[in-house]
Amino acid sequence: MGAFSINYLVRRLLVFFLTLWVAATLIFIIPRLAPGDPISAMVARLSQQAGFVENADKIIEGWKERFGLNDPVYVQYLRFMTGLLGGDLGYSMARFPSTVTELVGRALPWTIGLVGIATFIFFTVGNLCGALLAWNRTPRMVKVLIPMSMIFTSIPPLLAGLLLSYIFAFLLKWFPQTYSYGFGVQPGLTLDFIANVIHHGTLPAMAIVLVTFGYWALGMRGMMVTIEGEDYMILAQAKGLKPFYVLYRYMIRNAILPQMTALAVSIGTLVNGVVLVEVIFNYNGMGTLIVTALREQDFGLIQGTSFILIVTSAFAVLIIDLCYPLIDPRISLEGR
Amino acid sequence: MEMQTENGSERVVLKVEKLRIHYATPQGDVIAVSDISFNLYEGETLGLVGESGCGKSTTAYGILQLVQPPGYIVNGSIEVDGTEVLDLSEEELRKFRWTGLSLIPQGAMNSLNPTMRVKDQIIDVIESHEGKQESKEAMRDRIYELFQNVGLPNRIYNMYPHELSGGMKQRVCIAMGVALHPTVVIADEATSALDVVVQRIVAQTLVKVKDEIGVSLIVIGHDMGLLAQIVDRIAVMYAGKMVEIAPVENIYAEPLHPYTRLLIDSIPSIKERKPLKITEGITHDPRNPPSGCIFRLRCPFAWEHCVEVEPEPIDAEHKHEVACHLYDERFEERRANAFATFANS
Repeated sequence: MGAFSINYLVRRLLVFFLTLWVAATLIFIIPRLAPGDPISAMVARLSQQAGFVENADKIIEGWKERFGLNDPVYVQYLRFMTGLLGGDLGYSMARFPSTVTELVGRALPWTIGLVGIATFIFFTVGNLCGALLAWNRTPRMVKVLIPMSMIFTSIPPLLAGLLLSYIFAFLLKWFPQTYSYGFGVQPGLTLDFIANVIHHGTLPAMAIVLVTFGYWALGMRGMMVTIEGEDYMILAQAKGLKPFYVLYRYMIRNAILPQMTALAVSIGTLVNGVVLVEVIFNYNGMGTLIVTALREQDFGLIQGTSFILIVTSAFAVLIIDLCYPLIDPRISLEGR
Repeated sequence: MEMQTENGSERVVLKVEKLRIHYATPQGDVIAVSDISFNLYEGETLGLVGESGCGKSTTAYGILQLVQPPGYIVNGSIEVDGTEVLDLSEEELRKFRWTGLSLIPQGAMNSLNPTMRVKDQIIDVIESHEGKQESKEAMRDRIYELFQNVGLPNRIYNMYPHELSGGMKQRVCIAMGVALHPTVVIADEATSALDVVVQRIVAQTLVKVKDEIGVSLIVIGHDMGLLAQIVDRIAVMYAGKMVEIAPVENIYAEPLHPYTRLLIDSIPSIKERKPLKITEGITHDPRNPPSGCIFRLRCPFAWEHCVEVEPEPIDAEHKHEVACHLYDERFEERRANAFATFANS
């Protein structure tokens, strides 16, 4: 088992924080390169609704002053960065009294829960299916059924979401169509609430699993076939080990390693898919929040949500990276 | 290394009869092993030699029931201590493996599972045949003893394969191969991937362990020099046929089969440079072997009879068989003439 060294840990953490800094800086710069500004946009929207807004210029000026948009860019940048360090992501411009931290804090747990559970399911199911596809003792029935269930792999998550929503929520009414829990249920750690959350989360999670697990199954199958040709597989057979033991201790155990690497790499892409699925199911997570923010040109919220998504992705990759020596004895985290 | 004595036991532990193995290809079956028969006696070390692709490894894997598709056993009988291996059910075969027949694999470099500790790979074979062991200490001591047999230090107990050198991995494979005291151990080119110094040490280890534990051993290889030092008898294969099987002293002093003669004559010597006596180039198409004798296309002594009739193994001496018409009593005269001309050329 590879040993951890403080040296490696420190360097890996430095890379992690460097990622966050670059991400924060880009997030600060990019919206400022876009034409228009949020306050004019908001006032314009208000005037559309009301027909006319008195002293529009003054309002714009006042708000710009309030948000510090008149300061030189570097002052804004410093303020933004110090705010981030203190966990202050600023105010939502469209829903002014609410802070971004507050809005994100309400949405993030739902997304982490949804993505976490979906990832767990598609990674387990996908790899298991892949392993069974390659194993020479798998019943023929199973080998026919698994590829059939993989036809969804090539469709975008958004379509899978719509399809599931139409069939299971609209036609069959087995699952609710929107939101993360029923409006009549009191949030809390009660069985009722948990059951309700699972009931609401099933369709969005299924949409993600359906379009992703085939990818993992195919990857795993390829790895398993490679492993089957290894010299140690012949020895395992010659040793007269029990077939099931050979499957998990010799084949899956070795085939899973590249899959773990692939998982770390794919987390960013995964989040993209989740955003769309959340919107379809009007799931009150980060995806829906981001889309709302974009629609309302809410700079503060766009910056905050994007930043938090990057932080969580980078953190997940960090965790997988640090766990890698635990599953592959050939990799060690000693300073090199 | 000392020469092994010829006076082994007369008890047959492995009896291979008419073993035939084909590889299925779209253009027809390739005949990898063609009706070979031989006996392995108790405590004996038998060397199996031949050119690359002559079917020596396939023979070994056939005996072990490990022929990988598209290869398959067409017919034959493999008896180990009275057990017909080919008749065993899947579960019986699993239990029979490693206790009846074990393998020291070719390319020990990659024959160990990279994600398992050395000890766990030895423990798993013990536990899948003898059941879960109660005492961890007893198991550890048992493995230490195996390590000692093959000259491995105890510190590798908890190591992973990638932390060992090539020679050490090969020794782990030897220790593993004899862990259950099998009747027959088959070493498939066990020393081929090692340098000469390590080769010698590993070969010595192999013989020492074999003698200590009292198993019978089949060593597959193409290094005639190395084999001569460790085996009791040598079986020479050519194109899926066993052409000669003889005690090692006989085969070097007086090889009988023309192919064996050419092979022995071609062993490189450090004192003189010798040309390769065997005609190079393509042999026959393994899908359509020539009629009669398999070696006749490259044999300097072949005549019409070799085209028409396939030679059967002839007992030349005790434990010495040769498959060549020249040793048929009817052709004694021809043999004398042929060898005389050959010696003059």
